[in-house]
Amino acid sequence: MAITQTRPQERPELAPIRTIRDVPVEEFYTSGHRTCQGCHSALLMKYLAKAAGPRTVTIGATGCMYVANTSYYATPWVIPWMHTQLGATGSAVIGAAAGYAVQQRKGKLAEEPINVIGIAGDGGGADMGLSAISAALQHTQYNVLIILYDNESYANTDIQASGSTPWGAVTAFTPSGTVKRITQDRWKKNTPGMLVAGHPEARYIGSASAAFGVDVMNKIRTALRVGGPTYLHVHDACPKGWDFDPRYSRELGQLAVECGIVPLWEVIEGELQYNGITRQIVEGRRKRKPVREYLMRQGRFAHFTEEDVDYFQAKVDEMWEKWILPGVLPVQALPEGLPKPGRRAAGLADGAGAAANGAVAP
Amino acid sequence: MASGSVDVTYRGIFQKILAGNIVKTLVKASRHSGKIGGTISRYSDSPERNGIPAKQFAVIAESQDELHVEMAKYEPDNIRLIAALDDTLAKGHESWAWYGIRPIHLGLREGGALLVVSEHERAKLLEFIPRLPFEWRLAILPGEKSFSGLWVYHDDGTEFRVLGAIARLIPEVVGLEELEKEVGKGPKAEQHLDWLRQGYREVQVGTVPAGVGAPNTYEPVKLPEWTEMAEAIIVPAAPRGGRQEAFKKFTTRSERPVIDFDVCTQCKQCFVECPDSVFELTPEGYYNPEYEACCGCGICAEVCPVDDCIVMVDELAFADNRDLYEEWKADRAAYRQFFQGLLERERVTARSSRRKVSA
Repeated sequence: MAITQTRPQERPELAPIRTIRDVPVEEFYTSGHRTCQGCHSALLMKYLAKAAGPRTVTIGATGCMYVANTSYYATPWVIPWMHTQLGATGSAVIGAAAGYAVQQRKGKLAEEPINVIGIAGDGGGADMGLSAISAALQHTQYNVLIILYDNESYANTDIQASGSTPWGAVTAFTPSGTVKRITQDRWKKNTPGMLVAGHPEARYIGSASAAFGVDVMNKIRTALRVGGPTYLHVHDACPKGWDFDPRYSRELGQLAVECGIVPLWEVIEGELQYNGITRQIVEGRRKRKPVREYLMRQGRFAHFTEEDVDYFQAKVDEMWEKWILPGVLPVQALPEGLPKPGRRAAGLADGAGAAANGAVAP
Repeated sequence: MASGSVDVTYRGIFQKILAGNIVKTLVKASRHSGKIGGTISRYSDSPERNGIPAKQFAVIAESQDELHVEMAKYEPDNIRLIAALDDTLAKGHESWAWYGIRPIHLGLREGGALLVVSEHERAKLLEFIPRLPFEWRLAILPGEKSFSGLWVYHDDGTEFRVLGAIARLIPEVVGLEELEKEVGKGPKAEQHLDWLRQGYREVQVGTVPAGVGAPNTYEPVKLPEWTEMAEAIIVPAAPRGGRQEAFKKFTTRSERPVIDFDVCTQCKQCFVECPDSVFELTPEGYYNPEYEACCGCGICAEVCPVDDCIVMVDELAFADNRDLYEEWKADRAAYRQFFQGLLERERVTARSSRRKVSA
């Protein structure tokens, strides 16, 4: 007999949060963590614990959110948290979900929905753990959520470049020198887009920012309600690695969205939705801010020349003007003569879920 | 001629490069008088976090053997000079869980010097610095705290002014002449030498007799033994409705948020966006900060939609973590006066001392 978790039916505890007033008061990730001042990854942990509630088990790969939250025999986690190896988030959550399913089938655990949430940073998730996350998203019989907190570097070991580090940023591995100004010459990996394109059976994949708390908490709840293997990519401002005053974490996270560098979207059961500011940009109701406003607020881009800013802007423009799904999927080269699928055709109006059904490539 | 250790206590990341430059220059300068030395960093949490109290040491010796003995110590003791690069560190530092708050002059030897970069007077600092059973020296280098970031360093003179002050305080270990030789080699030598001599001139030194200062409540902490811990590296969860108690984090802050509850609209923004879950909902619907949990990031002051409702106030304006909401509830008129007083008399900054990120 196959071990299959049933699709979560009614989950009143995961009802959408309409306004900030509805944000639950109880904390399941509390104070006393050893993160930096103004750490938005810690804020994301708080949001995820709040949104998911007490019947939640979290499993975290090595990273800031491992070391800062569990060492010295002390932890701010109220709900269970378990460590797993750097690349293992995907495998660990599937294993845990399967374990709970077996125990419930055998009557050793009460039949109830248990939220199994995997937590990985950009190093642990977008680099090392990518294959296991990809594998997890194929196991449709289990209900798991994998959250990737993307602070754009290996922040736990003092800021080394990852595949998620933006082009040109200074890190411990990519200093700016007099001979070579830009040593981080790789464009940031589009992890959520890649996962959407390749995992048509995952019922929820989303992109969010910790600067938008209500949006993040709703995305977490939606993913848990929808069920199956789900994935949420969250962009988190890192005052230490990005080099800005901690009090501006929200502002920096917001600017990344306003400049169009980080789009907010979700693909729910094959249907693409843009959210918040990103939605306004896509629908032409709002103009993107110049990327300069975001870049020049951070010490990691302090060495940028006009030329560098222009290059960055051009790459972001391309993402909005030439991609098949603005900010989400970059298929550009279509055979001559084929109608270029606009964003409407590709999923906005029809909700055809072209992206999630693997129908994006002609 | 003498050897000895210098301890530079600083704010993690914001002053990491500054502290590192100071200890390195001290060791290099000591070579000009035939001494040898080494530096020790990473006293605090590794990796270092924004604002967390951290230390770097310069160990200077007259022989290899002496250096090896000192460098092999878990933590240098018998320290000749401690330099605190942010005066709010005078309240003590908690760098790890379980260790509790340690006094700023921990390890200082008799007659040793504590150098503080501060705009405050000696009497103000002694309100916070615990008394010692012997005489020691308190030196103040007048100036704002110098904060920068991980990648962009501010060459604002603090580095060289502190070095100058150190030469004045412990000339037997590193003198001004040796420092001039070393600093004179570097780029921008003229400006740096000016700052070095300025620090040497401007530092204000006085002795502190035995028994003068704040009550010394520090007790070396007993760390949990492995036999007392749970099996399989299981860490007890934080209690539901409670907080994690082994690490409080508040010595990380240089400023604390103070709230004018008269103008607060109970919008909940500070509560939701605080990464450290500092705010607690009161029965009246206000959000009251638990100062023991607050690391002073300033996000609440930034996201608060009401002008001058949450302001960040110099940590040295407060002796403890008392509950200000209760004071406001008990006597609103008195609280109004207190809040206005803060705005007028204390450093209520938009962190002018900290870089608002270069343009």
